[in-house]
Amino acid sequence: MNFDFTEDQQEIKKTARDLLSSRSSLAKVREAAEGKAYDPALWSELVELGWPGIAIAEEHGGQGLGAVELAILSEELGYALAASPFLATVTAAEAIGIAGTPEQQAQWLPLLASGEATGTIGSAGGLVPDADAAAVIVLIGEDGVARVLARAEAEVTPVDSIDPTRRAARVYAPPTHGEALGGDSAAAIDRATVVVAAELVGVAQRALEMTLAYVKDRRQFDTPVGAYQAVSHKCAQMLKDTEGARSATYFAAWAADAEPDRLPEAASLAKAAASDGGRDVTASAIQAHGGIGFTWEADVHWLYKRAQVDAALLGGSGTHRARLARLLAARLQPAAA
Amino acid sequence: MDLTFSDSEAAFRDELRAWFEINDPGTMPTGDDAAYAWRRDWQRRLAEGGWAGVHWPREYGGRNATMTESAIFFEELGRARAPLPANVLGLLLAGPTIMTYGTDEQKERYLSPILTADEIWCQGFSEPDAGSDLAALKTKAVKDGDDWVITGQKVWTSGAQYSKWCMLVARTDLDVPKHKGLTYFLMDMEQEGVQIRPLVQITGEPEFNELFIEGARVPDENVLGGVGNGWRVALTTLMNERSGLAFFLQVRLRQLLDELIEEAAERGLLDDPVVADRIGYLHMKAEILRLTAYRGLTTIEKYGTPGPEGSLTKWMWSETNQELAQFAADLLGADALTTGNRWAYELLRSRGNTIEGGTTEILKNIVAERVLGLPRLKGAAA
Ligand SMILES: Cc1cc2nc3c(=O)[nH]c(=O)nc-3n(C[C@H](O)[C@H](O)[C@H](O)COP(=O)(O)OP(=O)(O)OC[C@H]3O[C@@H](n4cnc5c(N)ncnc54)[C@H](O)[C@@H]3O)c2cc1C
Repeated sequence: MNFDFTEDQQEIKKTARDLLSSRSSLAKVREAAEGKAYDPALWSELVELGWPGIAIAEEHGGQGLGAVELAILSEELGYALAASPFLATVTAAEAIGIAGTPEQQAQWLPLLASGEATGTIGSAGGLVPDADAAAVIVLIGEDGVARVLARAEAEVTPVDSIDPTRRAARVYAPPTHGEALGGDSAAAIDRATVVVAAELVGVAQRALEMTLAYVKDRRQFDTPVGAYQAVSHKCAQMLKDTEGARSATYFAAWAADAEPDRLPEAASLAKAAASDGGRDVTASAIQAHGGIGFTWEADVHWLYKRAQVDAALLGGSGTHRARLARLLAARLQPAAA
Repeated sequence: MDLTFSDSEAAFRDELRAWFEINDPGTMPTGDDAAYAWRRDWQRRLAEGGWAGVHWPREYGGRNATMTESAIFFEELGRARAPLPANVLGLLLAGPTIMTYGTDEQKERYLSPILTADEIWCQGFSEPDAGSDLAALKTKAVKDGDDWVITGQKVWTSGAQYSKWCMLVARTDLDVPKHKGLTYFLMDMEQEGVQIRPLVQITGEPEFNELFIEGARVPDENVLGGVGNGWRVALTTLMNERSGLAFFLQVRLRQLLDELIEEAAERGLLDDPVVADRIGYLHMKAEILRLTAYRGLTTIEKYGTPGPEGSLTKWMWSETNQELAQFAADLLGADALTTGNRWAYELLRSRGNTIEGGTTEILKNIVAERVLGLPRLKGAAA
């Protein structure tokens, strides 16, 4: 039993943290959000590093690493709040990589791995990230079955979500368009879900750190506000929520490759914990910043907005709690399941 | 990252399971004294099998188990629905503290009877005016020849009525700042100067007690860790208290939750969306606790010191246990509110969880100051 990252994994995390702190500073994030345009230089750099293909099999042009390495990158991009089609692209690749037909894999994975094309996954009724520019869209129907659509097969309507650091769209496709994933849609969605949970952990971690820095510095009544227990206990709670979501997310990322039988439960655990944690921690961050936290000028609101949209992506905590209860009930009454 | 158990860990678990199979703990009798005697006997059986102090070094009768194996032990103990050994404070608190600070003579004298439950221990820290602010304690120890003479009052002392020894912290120097004037004693409970009065808890049981100490004598050789060093020694005890139990408690919580889910199934309530939502929520919290406890273990095994996870598990457990008991009351209605029902007991007993072993507010102070590095409010020590 060892919960720690390997040296290679730690190296990936460190490289990502260092690179993103300069290439995707909050000033850059703001520029992208306000200008409604991603920085193409950032995306080409990520592509050059091979990040979009980190978990894509080598035979399809990826690096052939696993869900843990992908979660590490996703967490760091969340921490940096990077404005890029990374999350959308890797989640589509995860889905196609685990459940696509050989043709679907051969058609899309090399393009996604090399960054020649981007992709996305999302629900028919929800906000689909970066769908407007995606070459391939994995669209989850109401019945839970996911279809693979080329961009032209879908009707994509860009919308301004509350999170301007990421583009979003509504996607519709007539039932005759596209082709269902060859394998288990649930497994495909679960693997994508873990990536979103990891991003939320990164967002929460950043919100906690920004808040700590602020409340140690800001003084009222001749005292740093972080000394007041109403504030310091809130920060302790933020740590508890962040670490709890992190425990569940790392477990799910590990299970995705090592014990896929446990992935359905682990993915729902991770997403339920990270959705709740991400929303609560970023909301607390605004509160602990006082009036400045409510301004457009401060950066905490980007984190809150990202957390809100991520929390709903691929199922909110309520959806995943309900699934956990179903899984537990099935375990209790195997015949009825 | 590898969340499977190693071959040796799996072998350890198998051996233990096989032992539990032959040594079925049976059912605890009712009545406080009978239950206690039964738990004491259970610990003797564990000791005979070599399972009483798995995390203890071999030279003191343990198995030299790794932290992960120790966690496995508590998981299996919980899974076998066995109770905690009677001398839990001896095994988890007094023993490790004596191992850290004791002289060779002290280790020789005290450790083995802790393991066999021949000598039970209690923890005499809290006082009427010193709870969270433990260092403010007033019980006094004055040197008299080769002895120390102790006078004062302790409170909430769990299991004092069964104990031979007390981990007692007393003030030996009034002229230095409060943390510096303390000394840790190993006090014999069987003497005139120590009077025990049971205190009835909200559950109706007298689990803890008041201690009235009037001229009790403790020989100088029973000072642990040196005169004036009591605060450091006491902190070692407290750290062991908060971390040692985490795995057992985590499994207990899991069992209670599984039983509650079965109850819900029997009543046909699993399809009720409100019930399902609550079950999903509690399952999530129980799993987060388990996983965070294991993450904490990895940190300690690899880096020697507990990471931030360590301070969080007691907080997570106590909170979730209370939420679980409260949900049982919602789910089971009148049954869970009827005295004698086990859920009624849980509903009451779980309120103590966020107080005993350091209140949740104090744990939050510790997280805020020592983990997050936030400034301390004047006077509000952690
Ligand atoms: C079931 C049970 C068993 C116990 N067994 C033992 C035992 O065997 N041996 C032993 O020595 N003790 C034992 N205790 C005592 C326990 O350790 C104390 O009750 C606990 O430390 C709190 O102290 P107190 O009761 O004096 O409460 P107080 O310290 O008076 O606290 C009252 C309230 O104020 C809050 N508070 C206090 N200080 C602060 C602060 N700085 N910041 C924020 N909030 C604060 C507390 O959180 C609490 O809510 C036991 C308690 C229980 C409930």
